Amino acid sequence: MSEELEQKIREEAKKLLESGEVRLVVGWGKGSAPFKTTPVFIDKPEDVDKLVWNPACTNNLAVYLPQLVKEGTIGIVAKPCDTRAVVTLLQEKQIERENIKVIGVACSGIIDESALKRAGIDLAEVREIKIDGENLLVTTNSGTQTVPMTQAEKEACRICEHRTPVFADVTIGEAPTAVEPEAVENMGTPEERRAFWAKQFERCIRCYACRQVCPQCYCAVCFIDRNDVRWTSKKPTPAENWMVHMGRALHLAGRCIECGECERACPMDIPLMKLNREVAEHVEKLFEFEAGMDPEAAPVFGRFEPDDPDPNEH
Amino acid sequence: MTEEKTEQTTKDGDWKPIILGILCNWCSYAGADLAGSSRLKYPPNVRIVRVPCSGRVNPLYVLKAFQKGFDGVMVLGCHPGDCHYAKGNYFARRRIMLLGELLKSVGIEPERFHFEWVSASEGVRFAELVNEMTETLEKLGPFAGVDNSAEEKSKAEIR
Repeated sequence: MSEELEQKIREEAKKLLESGEVRLVVGWGKGSAPFKTTPVFIDKPEDVDKLVWNPACTNNLAVYLPQLVKEGTIGIVAKPCDTRAVVTLLQEKQIERENIKVIGVACSGIIDESALKRAGIDLAEVREIKIDGENLLVTTNSGTQTVPMTQAEKEACRICEHRTPVFADVTIGEAPTAVEPEAVENMGTPEERRAFWAKQFERCIRCYACRQVCPQCYCAVCFIDRNDVRWTSKKPTPAENWMVHMGRALHLAGRCIECGECERACPMDIPLMKLNREVAEHVEKLFEFEAGMDPEAAPVFGRFEPDDPDPNEH
Repeated sequence: MTEEKTEQTTKDGDWKPIILGILCNWCSYAGADLAGSSRLKYPPNVRIVRVPCSGRVNPLYVLKAFQKGFDGVMVLGCHPGDCHYAKGNYFARRRIMLLGELLKSVGIEPERFHFEWVSASEGVRFAELVNEMTETLEKLGPFAGVDNSAEEKSKAEIR
């Protein structure tokens, strides 16, 4: 199944490169372990065999687009969540429609290393991983183990409602069964919430991996780095970390496409998506807007309606 | 000046909340001005920052205030339709409404954050708002701080 899709991705990439429609195809390549992949940048048709497709293709490659499109049209292999990131970049005019070719791939979930560890897999022993229906087959030195996908995938994938590309020039593969929307977890009373987040943000080591990996964090100068207005100091104290993460949650409001890459990249396992998801839900409730669905739509905070929710009725 | 204010808030040993008021120049600040010139009584716990328009209010201002330990923040602007710049308050409304929800999500009590419309003629309303908010915050108690440590140092800074 995944080999078939892989072959199709390669064919499409080859077509794009041979016809000269794109100067580069961004996709995933073989990683340093069977449960890892790495972004690859293919500029010759004969190199397309370096492209792979498997449940380890985690990186949201849209993160490269704003830079790469400056020098010509780019082809991008994109999971459904990645296509939503592309849509947001289009909405915000960071890329032009004619400068991208999107090879969309239907997705049945991406594995998460921490989840695999929790499922009792010794990652050093893994030789091969493969999706089989709703399960993940993990071949280790001592035999093959079956792990249900729900226990092996990223949390963002487990609750993902968009499993087919929302925006693509070609779509490869068919969507697996739709997932029932899951309500956002109730985090309890204000004290409980504050205590929870204080405990999470306290661990942050300010590596900014969450920002670097995020396709929506393209600002030339991030508010965290500004010295003229010091929104936050560089000191990783709990209060300063709170400011960093609150600023990020705020700046991603109506823009986060919930790919879960920030959470995956976080070396301290801070559950950033819990906050992003809550904010996404607020935006949907207040303004009936879901990030990254319609390339023609204007950004939600760049416009208003006279009958928007008002503090006096709230 | 700073010392004097610290004294003011702790003179009688009672704890008094400190509120940051971010007020639009054209309506709410004029409203606060009217409250003053009409000799209306309201507690001295509010520190006012004047901005040209509620649309100028970067939600980060509010986050920063809570990070620094303010007990409450109020953002006041012109009523919809009354904006001096025609639509600044409409843009503000979207942002600040979302900010309010975000603050609730991370456990800042909704009573600590007020977003309201106050026109230049509503001096009475301004005084009422400050009175009400002070009362609620006195009941609620001091803000424990975003890192749950109630860091007195940063609190002293704002006083």
